[in-house]
Formats: sequence, C-alpha cells, structure tokens
Amino acid sequence: MVPIQSLFAASLAETIDAKFGTIVGYMATVLFWEPVPAIPIPLIVLILLCGSVFFTIYFGFLNIRGFKHAIDITRGRYDNPNDPGEISHFQALTSALSATVGLGNIAGVAVAIQLGGPGAVIWMMLIGLFGMTAKFNECTLAQVYRKVHPDGTVDGGPMYYLEIGLQQRRIPFLIAKLFGLVFAIFCIGGSFGGGNMFQANQATAAIRGMLTNVIGTPAGIDWMIGGVIAFLVGLVIIGGIRRIGQVTEKIIPLMCGIYVLAGLVILAMNFKQIPEAALLIVTSCLSPEAAFGGSFVAVMVQGIKRAVFSNEAGVGSAAIAHAAAKTDEPVREGMVAMLGPFIDTVVICTMTALVVIVSGVYDDPTAGEGVEMTRKAFANTFSWFPIVLNISVFLFAYSTMISWSYYGEKAWQYLLGKSRANVICYRVIFLAFIVLGSVASLKNVIDFSDLMILSMAFPNIIGGVILAPRVKTMLGDYWTRYKKNAFVTYR
Amino acid sequence: MARPWCSAPTEVSNKEPPQKGLIQAALQLVDSPAQLHLLHVMEPLETMSPGVITGNVTDEVRTQRVTEALTRLATDHGAGGAQIAVAIGTPGLAIADYAAAHATELILIPSHGYHGVKRLFLGSVAERVLRHAPCNVFVLRRSDAE
Repeated sequence: MVPIQSLFAASLAETIDAKFGTIVGYMATVLFWEPVPAIPIPLIVLILLCGSVFFTIYFGFLNIRGFKHAIDITRGRYDNPNDPGEISHFQALTSALSATVGLGNIAGVAVAIQLGGPGAVIWMMLIGLFGMTAKFNECTLAQVYRKVHPDGTVDGGPMYYLEIGLQQRRIPFLIAKLFGLVFAIFCIGGSFGGGNMFQANQATAAIRGMLTNVIGTPAGIDWMIGGVIAFLVGLVIIGGIRRIGQVTEKIIPLMCGIYVLAGLVILAMNFKQIPEAALLIVTSCLSPEAAFGGSFVAVMVQGIKRAVFSNEAGVGSAAIAHAAAKTDEPVREGMVAMLGPFIDTVVICTMTALVVIVSGVYDDPTAGEGVEMTRKAFANTFSWFPIVLNISVFLFAYSTMISWSYYGEKAWQYLLGKSRANVICYRVIFLAFIVLGSVASLKNVIDFSDLMILSMAFPNIIGGVILAPRVKTMLGDYWTRYKKNAFVTYR
Repeated sequence: MARPWCSAPTEVSNKEPPQKGLIQAALQLVDSPAQLHLLHVMEPLETMSPGVITGNVTDEVRTQRVTEALTRLATDHGAGGAQIAVAIGTPGLAIADYAAAHATELILIPSHGYHGVKRLFLGSVAERVLRHAPCNVFVLRRSDAE
C-alpha cells in the first residue's frame, strides 16, 4: 500500500512541476533564441562566449600574463591582516570553489560528452580559459563596490556593482536599479534550483545508492533522506551551528584531492592511451559525428553550457564570495578569482573527461547517464571508487547548498532587507526546496533553475562590459605598481 | 536630568555620516558626554557566510570592531567619554530592552525613511522602538532618507 504522504507529495510535486513547465517554456524561448539565422547558437551562449572573449582581449590576456601573480597572491604573499574584509585570498578562492566544484565536474562532463561527443571537452576547456577573465572582471567589481559594515562584515556582489557602478557610468538610476533587481531575482531562483534542488536530488540518489544494499528501498525513503539533508543544512543556516560548516570546508578540499588523485592514477596507468584520447577530442571537435549532436555548433553549445554550469564564469555568483576577501586592492582579488575556472574546468573537468574517454565508457550504451557514466569509468580501475564517489557527491552537494544559500540570501537581502524575520523566511523556503528536490525528479523545476542561473549572465555580462573601462584603468595602475615591485609582501 | 541615548546606523557611507547630527542633537541635552549612551545593534551572524565558516568572523571580533568604530565616532564628534554599547539581536527590540535596563530618559534614533516594498519588508527600526520603548523617543529623519 502506498503511504498517503507519498501520494500527496507526488501530486503536489507534479502540480508544481507543471506550473514551472509554463515558465520554463517562456524563458527558454528568450534564452535559447537564435539571433543569427545561419548559425544556430542560442542567445545566452552567444552572450557568455562573446563576453568572455571580449574580457580576455580587453584585459590583454590577463588569464595568461597574470597567472603566476595570481598564484603568488593566493599563497598569501600579499596578505595584510589589517586590510578590510572577512577572509584571506585563499579562503575566498576555496569558498567560491566549494560552490562550483561538485556535480558539474563529475556529472556535467559526462553529460557534455554524451550529448556533444568528446569534442565538447575542447569547448569546455576554452570557455574555462576565457571565463577566467570574465571572473576577474566581476570579482574586481564586487570588491570595488562592496559595502563594509562597522562590524567588519561585507555585502557585495553583482547587485551592488550593477546598481551603483552603472549609475557612475551615467546610466539612469532606474535602469541601473533594474539591472541589480533582475540579477537578484535570478540569483534567488538559481539558489533554489541549481544551488539547491538539483544538489538535493543528486545527494539523495547517492545516499539511496549506498543504503540500497543495507535496507533496500522502503517506501518514503526519499522523504526521509530529504528530511535529513534539510535538517543538516538547517543546523547550519537556521540553527547557527558553525562547526558543521567549518568541518565541511575542510573536508571538501580533501575530497577534491582524492578525486583528482584517483583520476591521475587512472590516467597514469593508461598513459599510452592519452595521446589517442586527446586526438579523439580534437578530431571530434573539428568533425563531429552525427551520433553526438551532429554539428560543429551543437558540440560547441554543449561544451559551453556544461562549462558555465560548472565554473559559473560570467554568471556572477562567485563575486558574492570574493567580495568578502580582505584587501584594499580590488584587482588583487579579481586575479585570485581567475584561478577558479582554471581549477574547476581546465584541470578537474578535463581530467574527468580524459578518464571517461580513456576508460572507453563514453561510447558504451550501457554506461548510464551523467554521474553513472563517471562512476563506471572510475570503477573500471578502482572497484571501491563508487563508495568514495557517493560520499563525495553528498559532500559536494552539501557544501554547494550552503554556499548557494548564502548567495541567495544576499540577493534576498538586497531585494527585501535584512530583518531577522525576512532572513528566516528565505532560509525556511530554502529548506523546503531541499525536501522537494529530494522526493521528486522535477524536470521542469530543474530546467527552470538552470535557466535562472544562466539568466544571471544577462545583467552581469552586459553590466560588466559597461563597467570594464573602470576595471581596465585600475588594472593598468595595479600592474604598473606590480612591475615596479611597489607592493609590500608579507610572506 | 536627561539621560539621552542614541543608536548608530549600521552602514559606513561615503555621504555625511548620519550619526553626526544625531550626536550633536544628543549633546545639546546632556551636561556631559558621559551621560550619553551610544548603542549599535548587530544582526545575528550569518552562519553560512565565508567569514563565519572560516572562523574569522565571530561575535567577539565584530563587537570589538564596532566598539572601536563607535569610540572613534564619539571622539570625532565631541562626544568622547560617552558610554559605548553593542548588542546582538533585532534592532528595535534590542534598543528598547537596553533603554529599559539602563533607565534611559530619552532615545534619539535616526530613520531611514524607506517607502513601498522595501519599507514593508525592512520595517522600521524607529517604529519598533516607538512601540516598545519605556521612555520618550525622538526620531531624526536622515538627510539621505529615501
């Protein structure tokens, strides 16, 4: 007999999913509109691609010439403990990475290869490299226009630099405000979806997978898992238990390390096949097979979409975390932020892709979809790896939910204020979406949240381009001082 | 004898500090700045913020920073020697509680003057103080009020 609550949940979830379907339809019409008839590139992909390429050229390939300096800053060479802000450069980078490293790197790569073929990996890497300067621009701006409160806490992010910065560029107040408001609305939507429901859904699947061998799949298990995840997130965001967040922050780099190490070992064991895999990636990028999307543009679109979901460059979310870094040099934090897409996409995603291709599962019809494919690719070498991967998926999802609850709440506060009741209201809704995401695979809701995250790029990139001259002036000044060794070093 | 007391707004702004007018008004009502209490109410910590997760931002650190900022503010505006206080909680209620605990005779408070949706969700600290205060309340409209 099916429990009543399961029936209720199913019908509630279906109703919600159906409502979202209508909205998704409208949003997809705009976002995936193809403005150039001869080339089927969706509008949003075009904006992300053009934006990233523009920033890279405009800032003189800073992603390459500033790479070494970015590493020096992240290592703490210039960390002045008396600078305003909450966290060090390194902590800002790991905070931002805890929101982006996760399912995008594990499942997203497999999806890109499944839908676009191995050639999609080239596009992922390219958008990762170009995305570095998009990230530089948005995180520098977040530092310039952040608000530092008397207690040392910081409010910052695209909603602030769009509203204040655009007015300084003589954009009328109402339009500047509209940019900030639209960004904040999309950010809240993204925080409930890609930063929450999608994560909860995948985390539930991972736990269910581990429990199946022990207790089977009793009715209502997803409700229970969803409830437990919501409770664990609630302990941090409502209960105020800081220790959990602190422990998670320490475990995430460890899980990343294990994942990358396992990937590298697999690649080392199969090193003879790597040139062949690399050749396959290049050839299938230049002459895509009909089985995978069919056309050059279709492969590119898949690669770019998955890369952006993974590293969020141009989306503006990480700028909220980077705004909190301790520095009085905004450009410096922008340079640190550049490393995010590099680590996330150029290193981790490429490694996953090579493992998937080298192991041969990419064209195995029985390999399953998304995370299943990656799991199988790793399990071919290490039979114990699925357990580690399940734990990683859960922890990545958990830290992503906490990070996104912060991004969403900052946007919520920007829209509606900081009152305690208002903040608690957001957090309760956030927890409710976790349970909802766990109990049902809501295709439309997840599509909606994907679209919301992509939509954040509209105001962010357009506003970012308008504000880029100010960043360029600051960068010129900073770079001159850097070349003259005018900076005080602390390590 | 009047024992006025005022609350400092929470934002650092490039504009004319709104606290300046407030402190000047308060100083008119006391014999010495020592009778003045400067209170700042901080919102509870955001436990998922990077600063809190990394352990860099704690209530102790915030309290110390605000105390320093309020002391500087008092000194800069001729109110050196005023009593500095920091509380954590819902601003309107925390101010009223503080006033009750310290037998305050008058509360001076600025008002942001928000309207519309922002007002609906932000509410008004001044309004809440008016409802809960155990003494007279004087509301100063900020010069940069919306």
